[in-house]
Amino acid sequence: MRLVQAGLLALLLFCCGAPAFADVAVPALTGRVVDQTGTLSSSEQSELSGKLADFEKRKGSQIGVLIVPTTEPETIAQFSIRVAEAWKLGRSKVDDGAILLVAKNDRKLRIEVGNGLEGALTDATTRRIIDEIIAPRFKTGDFAGGIKAGAERMMKIIDGEPLSPPPEPSEWRADTALFDQLFEYAPFLLFGAFIGGAFLRQMLGRLLGSLVAGGLVMAAVWLIVSSVIAGAICGLAAFFITLIGDSALSTGGSSGRSGSSGGGWSSGSSSSSSSSGGFSGGGGSFSGGGASGSW
Amino acid sequence: MRKFLTVLAALATLGLSGCGYNAIQTNDEQVKSSWSEVVNQYQRRADLVPNLVNSVKGFAQQEKDVLLGVTNARAKVGSVQATPDVVNDPGALQKFQAAQGELSGALSRLLVVTENYPQLKSDALFKDLMSQLEGTENRITVARNRYIKAVQEYNVGVRTFPNNLTAMIFGYKEKANFSVANEGEISTAPKVDFNPTPAPAK
Repeated sequence: MRLVQAGLLALLLFCCGAPAFADVAVPALTGRVVDQTGTLSSSEQSELSGKLADFEKRKGSQIGVLIVPTTEPETIAQFSIRVAEAWKLGRSKVDDGAILLVAKNDRKLRIEVGNGLEGALTDATTRRIIDEIIAPRFKTGDFAGGIKAGAERMMKIIDGEPLSPPPEPSEWRADTALFDQLFEYAPFLLFGAFIGGAFLRQMLGRLLGSLVAGGLVMAAVWLIVSSVIAGAICGLAAFFITLIGDSALSTGGSSGRSGSSGGGWSSGSSSSSSSSGGFSGGGGSFSGGGASGSW
Repeated sequence: MRKFLTVLAALATLGLSGCGYNAIQTNDEQVKSSWSEVVNQYQRRADLVPNLVNSVKGFAQQEKDVLLGVTNARAKVGSVQATPDVVNDPGALQKFQAAQGELSGALSRLLVVTENYPQLKSDALFKDLMSQLEGTENRITVARNRYIKAVQEYNVGVRTFPNNLTAMIFGYKEKANFSVANEGEISTAPKVDFNPTPAPAK
């Protein structure tokens, strides 16, 4: 019986949702405009992605353009939601991403809209963008013009809707300014952590003292740099320094310092770069809004 | 009762997370939230139906049976309670699915009929409603797929060792999932027998 159930489950997996091996792989997010068909010239690509980058700076919304030869065997909607789930365009929690997807050989296109934009780019609106703006140009073979006009119209419509202001440096992508700021205070913080930590250890005992010291440092750093993550890292460092105590002071100092400046921060891509290299989705989620069409 | 408490104490000392208690909680919550998304999107479709029926009525009054079929199916959907408990009761989920499937069938019959009314098809309001319906159907598909995945994860978690012991003690049972049989029923378009005019080339 169990076996039968397992078989059914596998069948279910096979029938719904689980991508089969034959499906087109989701292209890597190499930039705001990903063209796998060579439809757009490099100058057209960079012009369009420049516009989209400026728009993101101004509004915060991330719009991606993807041109693939085909989405077979999946429908364009199935492929599109997989791309959206992989790229995660749009800010996390705001979910203001959108993707303009063109499957050139299938003669199908789709605008996939993130949850946060569904109020502006409604199904009816995206349908009309496809039918009235993009498809007529595609019919005449003007792909670059259609894509450009469609993306611009999407931006105009999003502009009409109040969104939360563009992101401050987010916690996952610390930019260098944040750490310059931190280093200004670093001697101060380290000194304070040592003295205060020693004092707290005397007063409250080893574990509790360390906990309080860590908490205080975390709060201080958080206030100064307004980044929870940086605060947590420095707080942890302070906690361990205090815990290890006087014996490891000299080494603890340096390790604490590297703890606050290392930790993989440099690998975070900065969101402000408009080059195709440093672009990544902000973690927005999609649930299938938008419209599909053909030409 | 005493025995139960002893077992509980033993579990607590082991650390509940080690037995997958927390994983079960997480997955359970995931199932709940993806279910409410499914219901939410079906509701969205149900809200569209009256407008759609009215807009078709204006152009195609003689299609009474089809319109009536849609209205009745919509009423039936409204009468099936889609409480969060549905996920724990395969029978209730079956009922829910059957009602929604009937509405899907009635809607597709309606859409086939609209093909015969060029004036209706070029009506701006009808066009907007149609794109909303398409978008909603797509959202339903996405929500259902996510629900199916969430339930799978939960069920596998509840059935594998050692989490199954934890699940047994706390009374977490497998949850109902959308069935393949109905899947087939829903996705096949109903046969309509009148002589359809060839659809205009798109």
